[in-house]
Amino acid sequence: MIDCDIHHVIADQADFLSYMDTAQREWFQTRGDLGLPGYPWSHPFGFANDEGLLEPGYAPGALERISREALDAYGADIGILHANDASTVSLMASPYRAAAFARAHNDWVREQWLDGEPRLRGSILCPAQDPLAAAREIQRAAGTDDRFVEVLLCAGSERPYGEPRYLPIFEAAAECGLQVAIHTSGEGMGIAAPGGGVGPHTFYIEWHTVGSATSVMSHLVSLICNGIFERLPTLKVMLLEGGVAWLPGLLWRLDTNWRALRAEVPWLERRPSEIMRDHVRFSTQPLEHTDGHDSLLFEMLEAAGAPDILCFASDYPHWDWDDPKFVINRLPKAWRHKVMHENAAAFYGDKLGLVTA
Amino acid sequence: MREWHDVASLEKVVRDGRAIVRVGGREIGVLVDPSDGSLKALRNRCPHVGSPLCLGTLRTRESGTPGAYSLEEGKVLRCPHHGWEFDLVSGVCLDDPGMRVAVYDVKVLEGRVHVLA
Repeated sequence: MIDCDIHHVIADQADFLSYMDTAQREWFQTRGDLGLPGYPWSHPFGFANDEGLLEPGYAPGALERISREALDAYGADIGILHANDASTVSLMASPYRAAAFARAHNDWVREQWLDGEPRLRGSILCPAQDPLAAAREIQRAAGTDDRFVEVLLCAGSERPYGEPRYLPIFEAAAECGLQVAIHTSGEGMGIAAPGGGVGPHTFYIEWHTVGSATSVMSHLVSLICNGIFERLPTLKVMLLEGGVAWLPGLLWRLDTNWRALRAEVPWLERRPSEIMRDHVRFSTQPLEHTDGHDSLLFEMLEAAGAPDILCFASDYPHWDWDDPKFVINRLPKAWRHKVMHENAAAFYGDKLGLVTA
Repeated sequence: MREWHDVASLEKVVRDGRAIVRVGGREIGVLVDPSDGSLKALRNRCPHVGSPLCLGTLRTRESGTPGAYSLEEGKVLRCPHHGWEFDLVSGVCLDDPGMRVAVYDVKVLEGRVHVLA
């Protein structure tokens, strides 16, 4: 089993800052939040799932807990590590601070996480607000360790990621043989564009229902329309935590619009939905609860390309994480192996270092 | 069995740029291709939702590579309602090759336009 979304946290800021460029360390040290943009909403009882926290001192998402609770407990072969709040580094006002943060974070991940647990694989943070600097950091970090399997971008952004300004990021990823993960987070925060086009949400429940989904939809449509997959045929993108039940409807709209409006994007010679199937994967978590209509959900997802487009993700240790056993039991039997393992193994390829039987 | 039908005067078709005519139970559009003055005839019914296709625009279709636009060879007919484009020779919808509109041969005899339908 491959878990495509395990979050780790910076529990010990002093330890993290020991990896920081010494000339910039004081700036980060004097900020309780390490200079990262904060959420305007607060989860009513806590973002991390702390129930069952028996050992004080082990923060949620700490290495020992990940090994035991996310990997051992479910017999996971591989877990892909994603930064938690730190993924919003690309929304800091200063691209120079962001570049230093990303560099420190990548080195910290390599030594403190990947060296400590052989089943974990890393994702590279980059200062996406400065795409050329981001590309340099991707190349540097990828050169330090083969256990980095992808670039992590947060879905909060200044503009949709298909915009040509971001091309150096995707080119660097493709050159390094890395895939790109876009994970919901940061919408409307820091220098990000307001989410959804209607102004800021009032509540966390609103962001978690629409803010985290519409950002992912926008990136998906932007990447396809700008022809990023025509430019970079080997590139694949994983979209995480934006939900999936909306996907068939979005693709039906996009394909219909492409027939009439293709003069705007004449480099798309195939239906957008076909391009999506070849290049984009979606995390299962949070798999929508359907009030007894699971068969309808799976029938619709099949129309969008499932099971091949779905990869299991637990989102450990967040409050709405999906227990692998719960997801397996919901999935149609014929989908289970593909979603829980095969699709992610194909997405990351040899980079995972899986020994094939 | 298709037969030649005298459908309009050439003078009127050239003056208006097109003519919508009726042959049996079918509406057919005869259009002048402005690039070479040739006449084309297609059924005036878009296979998408039945719109009057032949009231659309004869145009050159765009192609390109990401971020760079160019023009394809030849003309297509763009449906006036939803913008789907059809190849003038084959009648195939270039935006959904599963769809196609009937196309007809055209000839001019003594100032009259004839359609093989």
